[in-house]
Amino acid sequence: MELANTLRQDGESRGGVLAHLERLETQVSKSRKKLEEPQNAQALEARIHELKRLRDKLRAEVKQRQARVKASTANVEPDQILEISEQEILERKQENMKAILQAYRFTGISGKLTSRGVCVCISTAFEGNLLDSYFVDLVMEKPLWIHHHSVPVFIPLEEISAKYLQTNTRHFLFVLWEYLNAYSGRKYQADRLQSDFAAFLVGPLQRNSLCNLLSFTYKVKPEGQSFPFCARLLYKDLTTTLPTDVTVTSQGTEALPSTWEEQRAAHENLFFTKPLHQVKGNIALSAPMTKVMGFQKNLSRLSGQGPFHLTRTTDKQVFRVKSTASRF
Amino acid sequence: MKVKSQREVAQSCLTPAAPWTAAHQAPPSMGFSSAKEMDETLAEFFRRTILKIPMTEMMTILKTWNFLSENQLQTVNFRQRKESIVQDLVLLCEENHASLNDAAHLDIIYTQFHRHQKIWDVFQMSKAPGDDIDLFDMEQFKSSFKKILQRALKNVTVSFRDAEENSVWIRIAWGTQYKKPNQYKPAYVVYYSQTPYAFTSSSRLKSNLPLLGQALTVASKHHQIVKMDLRSRYLDSLKAIVFKQYNQSFETHNCTTSLQEGSLGLDINMDSRIIHENKVEKERVQRVTQEIFGDYPQPRLEFAQYKLETKFKSDLNGGILAEREEPLRCLVKFSSPHLLEALKSLAPAGIADAPLSPLLTCIPNKGKNYFKIRDK
Repeated sequence: MELANTLRQDGESRGGVLAHLERLETQVSKSRKKLEEPQNAQALEARIHELKRLRDKLRAEVKQRQARVKASTANVEPDQILEISEQEILERKQENMKAILQAYRFTGISGKLTSRGVCVCISTAFEGNLLDSYFVDLVMEKPLWIHHHSVPVFIPLEEISAKYLQTNTRHFLFVLWEYLNAYSGRKYQADRLQSDFAAFLVGPLQRNSLCNLLSFTYKVKPEGQSFPFCARLLYKDLTTTLPTDVTVTSQGTEALPSTWEEQRAAHENLFFTKPLHQVKGNIALSAPMTKVMGFQKNLSRLSGQGPFHLTRTTDKQVFRVKSTASRF
Repeated sequence: MKVKSQREVAQSCLTPAAPWTAAHQAPPSMGFSSAKEMDETLAEFFRRTILKIPMTEMMTILKTWNFLSENQLQTVNFRQRKESIVQDLVLLCEENHASLNDAAHLDIIYTQFHRHQKIWDVFQMSKAPGDDIDLFDMEQFKSSFKKILQRALKNVTVSFRDAEENSVWIRIAWGTQYKKPNQYKPAYVVYYSQTPYAFTSSSRLKSNLPLLGQALTVASKHHQIVKMDLRSRYLDSLKAIVFKQYNQSFETHNCTTSLQEGSLGLDINMDSRIIHENKVEKERVQRVTQEIFGDYPQPRLEFAQYKLETKFKSDLNGGILAEREEPLRCLVKFSSPHLLEALKSLAPAGIADAPLSPLLTCIPNKGKNYFKIRDK
């Protein structure tokens, strides 16, 4: 109190204002407290009541719903089991379809729809061996066009598409398949010849990109002396796997003895009719021919007649002797 | 001993760019030494060719060449200085009576290993319509090609080496009527049989180009040859472009061949509090880029050049240039270590709008990286 008095005495205005402010402040806080306390308590209590009510209501609702769900599931259960099995069936069907779509490539021409058209897959095969697949991505627009492809550059794709793509797309695909299949077949034969019959080949096998000109020198027997033959096969028809022109010549400059001449002619025939690697197989089998030829020579020497022609039956076991002389 | 001293003389005499002088006549072998004396210039050519080969590739290249046997190679000490190794190797070549043809083969092999050191042009040949089926005989092609060149130019060295996929690398050393072929500036041609394309290394001797074109056309049974506006160091990329082999991703039922999930570069595991403002636009740019450039690795080119000859177009009326009748000549050149990948990344990086100008995106499709743009 003394301090307050001194304060008031010191600066009437200062002490007066400050003290006044203080008094006002304390008044306000007191009144506020009085107001808040009951209000707070009341508000809180009311709130608590409300929340309790809400909670009870929700609990009751939850219980109701649970009861309802239990009732409904009891009824629905057998349906759900059916649904599961239907789903399994559908999944199995889908897998089946996918497998069929994948297996379509064995037909040679298959495809898959894309966002802009279709991607055609051309699968090639030869003698039951599945070979390379080639793709053509077509865009389905008014003039049909090829977006990109994996056809080798030496296959005349531009020519074929210029002729058929717009007018008869099916035929276009078929012709392309023919070319690619024949190319794959020729390539397969040439590869097999190089790998499986390397022992019979003298020197490298000459080939070109389309495998439509093959040139090689081969021996009838892998070892020992024998006249090597030069074979030159031309495949002028690009849609076939058998040659259109075959020339088998002897490597040396001297004339071939007649027996070898026959063999040469026989080989030519074989090349015309059979796939390359099968021809080589046949030639390998005909190696014992030399014994036959020895027999032939002896026959003609002894009898003073000749020449004799020997023909083999298909099982290569029996020989029939035929003489050109009139006496026999 | 005699051989060595001659070679020493040769080394001191020959200047680096010396044209070939009259061939040194080797004396007939007396039967004493098995090694016939090799022509000085030929020995020098061997030395320089082998010297070019980096040591890391030496064994591989020599084995590919297959001229020196295993035993002979084992006698060489590969730990010496390179000069000495090269000297030993040249000696071995002399022992084996190596010819110019063998040296040319070695040169071809070196170039095959270092094909990026040359700049390659592409030529396109065409047949007359209604021509027969192409029964390409490699031996016939080689002999025909050689004959045509030798008939026109007496002094020319032509060598061949068969390569993968039924292709052939041809090395041509040009001479003139009076000068022997210059073995140090050969031209190379790579030709894949039964295709209309040939790749040639840009030779500095441009005057022989028409003759080369004619020889190629006639030997491969075509009618016409035209130089394409396509040039690059990367031979394999050029091949991929003209053979249309650069896009090999196809949709099939079996397995999607080399299709990749388009990753937007937006991590799924990112904090969910971070939102990409331009997500829609980014996705659009990615989609457009993928449609144009595909998911495959782009072929490699180093530049694209656009020659503009167009009249100046201006929005503003008037101005000096707008009244100009003649076209403006302007050259724009884009260079990059890998041009097409750089172009592909322009739009996703935000540097350019997607889709890019078709002048840029048509490069592999049209097989061109030199363009002339005129007013329509």
